[in-house]
Amino acid sequence: MTDTRALPGMVPSTADAPTVVGLWKRSEPMLLGTGTIALVLLLWELVPHLVTLSAGTKLFFATPSQIAVALWKMFYTGSIWHPLGVSAAGFGIGLVLAIVVGLPLGVLLGRSRTMNAMFDPFITAFNATPRLVFLPLLLLWFGLGMWSKVVIVFIGALFPILINTYEGVRNSDKLLINVVRSFGAKEWDIARLVVVPNSMPYIVAGLRLAIGRAVLGVVVAEFFGSEAGLGVIMVRAASSYQVDVVFAGLIIFATLSLAMTGLVKMLENRLGRWRPQLSNEN
Amino acid sequence: MAQIEARAGTIAGDARFVGAADTAPRQSFVEKNRNLLLGLLSVVLFLAAWEAIFLVVPFNKLFISKPSLIFEGWLDLISTGELFHDLAVSSVPFFYGFVAAIVVGVAIGIIMGWRQRVGYALDPLMTMFYASPLVALAPLVVVFFGVGVSGKAIIIFLLSVFPFIFNAAAGVRAVDRLLINVVRSMGGTEKDLYLKVIVPSVLPYIVAGTRIAIGRALIGVLVAEFFAASEGIGYAIARFGDLFALDKMFACIITIMIIAVVLTEGVRWAERAAFPWRVGQ
Repeated sequence: MTDTRALPGMVPSTADAPTVVGLWKRSEPMLLGTGTIALVLLLWELVPHLVTLSAGTKLFFATPSQIAVALWKMFYTGSIWHPLGVSAAGFGIGLVLAIVVGLPLGVLLGRSRTMNAMFDPFITAFNATPRLVFLPLLLLWFGLGMWSKVVIVFIGALFPILINTYEGVRNSDKLLINVVRSFGAKEWDIARLVVVPNSMPYIVAGLRLAIGRAVLGVVVAEFFGSEAGLGVIMVRAASSYQVDVVFAGLIIFATLSLAMTGLVKMLENRLGRWRPQLSNEN
Repeated sequence: MAQIEARAGTIAGDARFVGAADTAPRQSFVEKNRNLLLGLLSVVLFLAAWEAIFLVVPFNKLFISKPSLIFEGWLDLISTGELFHDLAVSSVPFFYGFVAAIVVGVAIGIIMGWRQRVGYALDPLMTMFYASPLVALAPLVVVFFGVGVSGKAIIIFLLSVFPFIFNAAAGVRAVDRLLINVVRSMGGTEKDLYLKVIVPSVLPYIVAGTRIAIGRALIGVLVAEFFAASEGIGYAIARFGDLFALDKMFACIITIMIIAVVLTEGVRWAERAAFPWRVGQ
C-alpha cells in the first residue's frame, strides 16, 4: 500500500505532534467507523417511530433494542448454552478432522508431483462446489444428528487448509531441503524439520479461512438437518416470526466467527512477519 | 517427422542417438500432458473402483448409487428435459442476484476506495456483514419475499455482493498514484485516466472478486431452493433425496459440480488470459 515512489508534493501531511488535529487524524478511522454503525443502529431503532408499519411488515421487524433484549434473555435464562454447545461440538470435531486430514495430505501433495496430479481433479471439483449440495445425501447417510453436520464442516474446512499447506510446502526453501537430505534425512525428517515449519504461516492463514467456512457449514447444516443447535433455534424462530431471536442468533454466530478469526489473525501476525501475500478467498 | 528422420540420418552410425530421436517426441507428449493424464487416470480409477466395489459389498439402492446407474439417471433427466428445466429455473434468480451484486458492489467498493473517509466510515460495517453468516437470514427472506424469483435473487445478492465491495475498494486503493500523475503531466484527459490507468488497475481485482462471489452465489441458490421452492436444481436434489432416487440425486449433484468447476475455472482462465501480469498473485 505504501508507495515509496510518492512524489514530494503528494506526501500526506500527517501531523505527528500530539495536537488536536493530530489526535483527530489518528482516531478518524475508528470514530467514523463506529459512528456509522451507531447511526445505522439508531435509524433502525427509529424506523417504527417515524413510519407506521403495516401489520404484515411488523411481523418481520425487530429493532436493535428488541434484539438486545432477546439476546440478554437467552443468556440470562441459560437457554442458549445447550444449543450453543451442540453447535460448538459439531464445529470443533469437524475442524479438528479437517486439520488432521488436510495437513498431512497437503504436505504429501506438495512433496509428490505424481500424487498432486492424481488428486488435483478431485480437489478442484470439491473446492469449487458449494458443499451444501451434499447435504441431502449426508442426511440420508448420517441422519439428522451430529455427524452430517460434522461432515459438512469437515468438507468446508478441509480445502482451505489442504490448499494452503500445499502452497506452503511448494514454497519452502529447496536449498534447506537439499541440505537436510544430504545429511541423510528421510522424507519424514524433511517434513518435520523444514517443510512444516516453513509452511506454518500458510497453514495458519488457511486455518483462518477454514474457520469462516466451518461456521457457515454449521449454520447451513443445522438449518436443514439437525434437531439441536443454534441454527435450529434460528429456523424455528423464523417460522414463528420471532425475528429478534433470528437476529440474536446471527449476532452470536458473527461474534464467534469474528473472535476466532481475530485470534488466528494474531497468531498469523506473530508467526509470519515475512509471509508473502496470500489470496483471501472465502 | 521429416526433420527427425533427417537428423537420424546424419547420425545413423550411432544407434543410441537414433533411438533418442525416435522416442523424443513421444516422450515429450507424455511429459507435457503428464499431469492431465495422471488426473484422468485417477478419475477413471476412482469410477472403476466405485463400480467394482459392489461386486464384493452388497448393493443397496436406497443408500448408495454407482456410476453406471448415475449415468443412466443422468441420461434420463436430460431426455425428459427435467434437468434443463430445473437449471433454467435456477439460473434466472442467479442472474438477477449476481448482476445486482456486481453493479451495487462495484459502485460501493469504488466509492469506498476512492474517498478515504467513506472507506473509514463503511469498512467496519461491511466487515461485520461479511463475517456474519448471512445465510442465516435466508429463512426471513423466504418468509418475507416468498419462494419466487425475488426471494432467491435477494439471498444470492446478499451472499455475493461483499466480495465485489472489498475487491473493488482494494483495486482502487492499489491504483498507482504515480501513473495518474504521469498521465496528467502528459496532458491526458479524464477519459484517458480512466481507460489507461484506473480500469486496468481495478478490473483484475473485480474479476478475482467474481471468482469468490460465484461460489457464494451458488450457495445462495441452493439455500433458497432447499428452504422453499417448487422447482430448480437445488429443489431437485432435495426431492430426489426424499424419494430415495439416489441415481438421479447423484446426477444432479455431479451436474452442479461440473457447473461450479466450469464457472470458477472459466473465470480463472479469463483472469490468466486478460491480465497475464497478475498471474501468481
